[in-house]
Amino acid sequence: MDEKLRDSVLFSILAVIAGLLLSGAMLLFIDKNPIEVYRILFSSLFRDKYTFFDIFVKATPLIFTALAFTFTYKASLFNIGAQGQFYIGSVVAVAASLFLQQRLPGLFVLAIVFVLVLAAGGIWGSWIGFVKARYQANEFLTSMMSTYVALNFMNYLLRTILKETKGEYPQTNPLDKTVWLPKLVPGTRLHWGFVIALLTAILIWVVLYRTPFGFRIRAVGLNQRASEMSGINAKKLYVLAFFISGALAAAAGLTEVNGMQHMLIQGFNPTIGSEGLGIAILANANPIAIIFASALFGALRVGGLVASQVAGIPPSFIELMQGLVMIFVILSNFCCGELDRKREIRKLRKAAS
Amino acid sequence: MIVGLLSRAVLMSTPLLYGSIAEVYAERSGMMVTAIEGIFLIGAWAGFTGSYLTGSLLIGLIWAILGGLLLSALYGWITVFLRQHQVVTGTALNILAVGICAFFQRVIFGVPTTPLTIKPLPQLAVPLLADIPWIGTILFRQNILTYALYLLLPVSIFILYRTSLGLTIRSTGENPEAVDVAGISVVKVRFLTVLLAGIMGGIAGSFYSIGYLGMFADNIIGGRGWIAFAICFLGNWNPKGALIGTVVFGLAEALAIYMQSLGGQSFFPNELFIALPYLLTIILTISRRSYNVPAKLGEPYVKEN
Repeated sequence: MDEKLRDSVLFSILAVIAGLLLSGAMLLFIDKNPIEVYRILFSSLFRDKYTFFDIFVKATPLIFTALAFTFTYKASLFNIGAQGQFYIGSVVAVAASLFLQQRLPGLFVLAIVFVLVLAAGGIWGSWIGFVKARYQANEFLTSMMSTYVALNFMNYLLRTILKETKGEYPQTNPLDKTVWLPKLVPGTRLHWGFVIALLTAILIWVVLYRTPFGFRIRAVGLNQRASEMSGINAKKLYVLAFFISGALAAAAGLTEVNGMQHMLIQGFNPTIGSEGLGIAILANANPIAIIFASALFGALRVGGLVASQVAGIPPSFIELMQGLVMIFVILSNFCCGELDRKREIRKLRKAAS
Repeated sequence: MIVGLLSRAVLMSTPLLYGSIAEVYAERSGMMVTAIEGIFLIGAWAGFTGSYLTGSLLIGLIWAILGGLLLSALYGWITVFLRQHQVVTGTALNILAVGICAFFQRVIFGVPTTPLTIKPLPQLAVPLLADIPWIGTILFRQNILTYALYLLLPVSIFILYRTSLGLTIRSTGENPEAVDVAGISVVKVRFLTVLLAGIMGGIAGSFYSIGYLGMFADNIIGGRGWIAFAICFLGNWNPKGALIGTVVFGLAEALAIYMQSLGGQSFFPNELFIALPYLLTIILTISRRSYNVPAKLGEPYVKEN
């Protein structure tokens, strides 16, 4: 078991390095020196407090969407719709905040908004689990398509009732300072949403690995028939798992709207769902490892943006790095599996002789 | 107006049918090609870039096929030979495809001041047939890729149900052990169907860039690959079902474009029509009951020693 963990950590690090090396090689096509670009990319992260803490600002929503994918994945369900659940969360966060900000004290508003966001995201997610349980509707397809529905729903609201009073752009009015998530580190953009994300990751780990509910989720994931034979109601779990998954993804909407943007803008954060999925893969669907993987993706994004401004590389280089890192992580999973298999065989041989 | 709408529907169905037939073949052999969205995107980009740089749509099409083939080969290698998770691998490749297209678009074209365009595939009227009222306009005033489908669809049905090759493919998805015992390599069959999906998906993707838009944008595919994926499910893993599915979706898209052109903001919002194909997928996914899922869909094959 220990050897297994060591392998998986070692190979994950190697995979990240390999992914960065190969995407660095791509820079040669645009006559940029990869070493120089990476030097700028990584040194920029530490050039000042603001940039450094931005890593965690970017990591915050990614932790949520990665957890959202992980939670259903443990039950062998696929929630590919985190992006849409995030949109729903954002819409509810901004609408509820704008409605309540004049009427109640800020902290109360935040608490109410938080509950509303979780409920809305959860309900938006749980119908996917419901139709899976009730009609055997493929959750992969329904969750995937629900993102596009949520996106158009959001665009519709931004064009009509949520549109700013100036009426110029498809975006909402800015939120009052009272309903912003408070700053965690002064002089940076880091807000308390990051702490909520950390606590959530730990909470999800506890739920999955230390509670009977989590045990049931994982049992259904490992072998649905066997778990049903032993009295687990898999159908109820589908709905619950999707509720929690949707609520997690929606929470990213709250931290982005109340913590970061302080308004809702059309077309914001379009890759948060797929990045979350990538992070979940990178972290091998472990809630604690997700924190570190999210920080890595956040760092690539922050450093990549600085590098694109300073060194003139295209911003799409970030997606290239992330994509290649993910491919190498999948390859490294294969290597770990093979190593583990060989070790088992050796062990069996030893026992037999 | 109805003729125009239906003609547009046939146009919009074309890439979806390429994609979903490919997906039917792959899934019948047990492989979900979840990288299909990325394959579409690479096809669209390579098709456009090839056409723009060489001035020949044919070379663009070949580039698109090669692009789709490359991505599907990577997908097939990881999922078939290395037995990694199909959904996970596909998602990673879809993200990678976005990065590759956007990055190399920039590498090759820099930051253009005016949008880059090419002349898309011309509409060819089939002599005689095109003059049939209604049907002529709908079916026989399309471009070459649509005509190719008129041949490809019956051929694909024939191969899948009437030849030993088709039987092998179907058996690989239902009972790979039996195929293995018969001396046919399961991994080879699966890998080849994935490559086929890459070729067809590449063509499908290029249809969006060089088939009628004549340009490339990062969001040009916008989930159409997933719709082709969904049509394969909804069409019960059967090319005929896929045909029905693509026509329905083609109609939905044509209707969406038509309603938008009317500017009928007053009664129904635009966004509802844009979301229509996706809503339709959800409703159909929920309402379809009689499933004919290949037994080993998505499961890697491990040969016993």
